Amino acid sequence: MTERTVTVTNQAGIHTRPASIIVRTASNFEAEIIIQRGAYEINGKSVIGVMTLAAEQGVELTLRADGPDESEALAALADLFARGFGETAPDESSANDDS
Amino acid sequence: MSEAESNAPTLSIDTFVERLRERAELPLTPLNSVDAPCASIQEDHLHRPGLALAGYVELFTYQRVQILGNTETRYLRHLDAQARREAFAHLTQFDIPCIICTAGNSLGASLLSMATEAHIPVFQTDTPTVDAMATIRALLVDHFAPQKAVHGSLVDVYGVGLLLSGPSGIGKSEVALDLIERGHRLVADDVVMVTRRDSSILMGAGTDLVQHFMEVRGLGLVDIRAMFGIRAIRFQKRVELVVQMEMADANTEYTRIDMIEGTHEILGVPLPQVRVPITPGKSVTVICEVIAMNYLLRHYGYNPKEVFQQRLRDRIQSKRSGLQRGIHYFEQDYE
Repeated sequence: MTERTVTVTNQAGIHTRPASIIVRTASNFEAEIIIQRGAYEINGKSVIGVMTLAAEQGVELTLRADGPDESEALAALADLFARGFGETAPDESSANDDS
Repeated sequence: MSEAESNAPTLSIDTFVERLRERAELPLTPLNSVDAPCASIQEDHLHRPGLALAGYVELFTYQRVQILGNTETRYLRHLDAQARREAFAHLTQFDIPCIICTAGNSLGASLLSMATEAHIPVFQTDTPTVDAMATIRALLVDHFAPQKAVHGSLVDVYGVGLLLSGPSGIGKSEVALDLIERGHRLVADDVVMVTRRDSSILMGAGTDLVQHFMEVRGLGLVDIRAMFGIRAIRFQKRVELVVQMEMADANTEYTRIDMIEGTHEILGVPLPQVRVPITPGKSVTVICEVIAMNYLLRHYGYNPKEVFQQRLRDRIQSKRSGLQRGIHYFEQDYE
């Protein structure tokens, strides 16, 4: 079992689009994935579950994975959070457009 | 932060009073006004501080909601003004979350100002003490009940609360949908909030956000209540049986004789569990209905396994060899 703490960085929080991205990513791995907010924990492969976290910007979540590919799964998910689900980096995309 | 709240579910006085009014229909009238109460409510028990008023404060459970009924009020009233203040000071020296005067009782202005100084809110209700205590206690028990979010679907099948459990993508939601189509009622899909009542009763409900929405792979979100109407849903149901769906594994031995095999523990309560291997062409929906009916039969005292065992035992003892055709019709009846 591996564990990692992440912070919701994008301004809109985990609304439906980030939730579906999280679940799609989590479902690519065999490991069981749990996302925890305080005492409340849900299955990371359930869209409804992830949405019930109702996590706004700045909230800390604990990701836990258990299975053969647990570290890869956590790395992929943590990366999503770090990039704000592609929502917080408009500068980066415009920079790419220029080049 | 909000995280801490969910870990230690203390109840603020404001929320407590609001819930009593809205959910329990027990409006409390504030007798004093306290900006910042000295304590929040930490536990579900109530206390009548008779001995504390009399001066014995050892083991005084001051952290509980304090109830002043007829006895306590009459006791305070029979003292002279000075002794009354001294008696009441035994209470106000502690961080009491709140004091509730029941059965229309009240405190004099002098005692109320003592409470206000000690930041203890005092309320009043006309409801008789015993009734008020029962209502308040029920609300607090519900608030402080152990609670857990469980991954699965909870459906009321013939009045039996079936929790469909199993790994993601095995088809729990699809089975739930099929059950709804056949007239059963959905409590919650995907996230079931399970609350323990007393020591062994588990109640399941949906979340206030999701209610009866459901995610069906390939379809996205659907609203069961909007589609199927009120008959297809319910807000809570006791969780009675766990249907553990799993991919059929050739090496696993599944039960052949007795339906219930093992238990599934939630919040320390062992629930009877039925393991259902998923194989192509198998209707899990029908199996769930049979599981529910079989559970009901057992509940009403009929255990098919025992009945059959007895039948077999009788046959063996009677030494009647050979199996007869199991027919009971008249010879001329060719049906």
